[in-house]
Amino acid sequence: MNTPDASPRWAAAARVVIEAAVVLAAAVPIYLLIKQALTPDLESFAWPPHWLPRNITAAHIKAIFALAELRSALLLSLAVAAAAAMVASALGTMLAYAMARREGLRRVGMAGLTAARLLPMIAVALPLTIVLIHLGLYDSPSGLGLALIHAALAIPTTALTTYGAFAAIPLEQEEAAFLDGASALRIFLAVDVPQAKLAIAASLVLSFIMSWDEFGFALLIQVTHRTMPPLLYYYTVFGDVGPASALALVMLGPAVAVIVALRPMLKSGALKGIQR
Amino acid sequence: MGGRRANITLWIFAGVPTLFVLAVLLAPAVQGLVLSFARGGPSTANYAAVLGDKLFWRALAGNLIVPAGSLVVEFAAGLTLAMVLGGRRGHLSALADIAAILPFAIPEIVLLAIARYLFMPRGYLNGALALIGAGPMPWLIPGSPWAYATVIVVDAWHVTPVVMLILVAGLHTIPPELYEAARLDGAGAFAVFRHITLPMLTPAMLAALVLRGIDALRIFSTTLVLTGVEGVPVISTYAYHLWTDSQQPRLAMAASVILAAIIAATSLAGLAMLRRNAWLNTAP
Repeated sequence: MNTPDASPRWAAAARVVIEAAVVLAAAVPIYLLIKQALTPDLESFAWPPHWLPRNITAAHIKAIFALAELRSALLLSLAVAAAAAMVASALGTMLAYAMARREGLRRVGMAGLTAARLLPMIAVALPLTIVLIHLGLYDSPSGLGLALIHAALAIPTTALTTYGAFAAIPLEQEEAAFLDGASALRIFLAVDVPQAKLAIAASLVLSFIMSWDEFGFALLIQVTHRTMPPLLYYYTVFGDVGPASALALVMLGPAVAVIVALRPMLKSGALKGIQR
Repeated sequence: MGGRRANITLWIFAGVPTLFVLAVLLAPAVQGLVLSFARGGPSTANYAAVLGDKLFWRALAGNLIVPAGSLVVEFAAGLTLAMVLGGRRGHLSALADIAAILPFAIPEIVLLAIARYLFMPRGYLNGALALIGAGPMPWLIPGSPWAYATVIVVDAWHVTPVVMLILVAGLHTIPPELYEAARLDGAGAFAVFRHITLPMLTPAMLAALVLRGIDALRIFSTTLVLTGVEGVPVISTYAYHLWTDSQQPRLAMAASVILAAIIAATSLAGLAMLRRNAWLNTAP
């Protein structure tokens, strides 16, 4: 980075203070969540609050995994996220490839992808509910309706994530395959996709996590066959501290693992198209 | 790659995803627009009913106060973090990098659950205040200005990493020669920030401001989970309340169309601002 070399001592001290504050601000809340998940509820309701656990119990963890509600929500969330990720990555990859090969499509595509992100969730979700009721996909046990919505929401992200990889592939390689008589589809699958596979993998992971995290549409559409985010919402607002915290930990695991793994790409700005 | 067949393939590649997004996201929004003007025939009665509701005006105010406050907090924090973490490596830096991105990695609903436990009346924050003999503060008490402050801070907390990442990318575009020249001229750290970093960062800041500003207007989960609909009403939760609690789908759609119109107007204004700054022409 480009800061001047001769930074004064107070700046170095300020840096350490801010870095420590950032680490604490992230670590303390997560520590407290873990503590609540592993201590009896009586301790979580204590006043003044206990900062250290006095009794450790696995009761909450056992209790939530014994719930049919949790098991079906977990399976549904995983299924919806997997389906959404596959559809969003396939369609986003196609769109990104077309944008990388035709300047006109790139301009229109970029504008369209930006516009697609502008609609407020509520303005889409309410009328969409009516459409889904007609299609028999509202609150469906399969979560198909929600998966399609999550896929559509993630397409801007998957397209922007893979666009750079396709734009970087030299056209000469395609021309060689074209002269050999390969069809455009065959060229795409045999020449381009293998070279973009890292970016495609990243887009799969990102769209999976976007679906795993998504709350608003899930709340409005899966009203009885809940996915994890609405389930956690009801536990947090209406339920007990311990089970809610244990549920939150279950949701936290995959999300944190994925983003920490993607951190190098995040920092390099390669994924700056990310935006919820 | 040339040829008519290739062209057709590319158009299909672009067309199928586009149609899918239009069908799933845009078509329902258009239908919502139509339904919001229907009440046994074309009518503006739904809008009249919404505009006559006191809660709508509180929600509109909240939908301006919270995003504005959130933008101020997240840009102040995001710029500080970008300057500190985008700079040279210290021992804490690797850890701080992860910690800085973490709030963004945490699913929104988990972050909000944590925030509830931190800010509730007998929560950890008031507990920490009690340790130093202060508080308790009414962080989440409906109607209290503190509830607005809490919602703003929690909303900003979640998205500050995004702002930081955009600004770090912006910092990387500043040519090192500029800093070199400033040092040779004997410029101090503040002068360098004021006369080089800040002006060179302006395009990235404006882009981030427009993107985040539009996103901030869509606020829903933060206020719903932390304060419920009545505590700090915003338009999205107000529409949700009309839809679920009041069973008034047409009114709910009218309210959400008003929000969409506000967002569309803001987007056009933001786009015009970016164009004027000629940023779009140089962006990748």
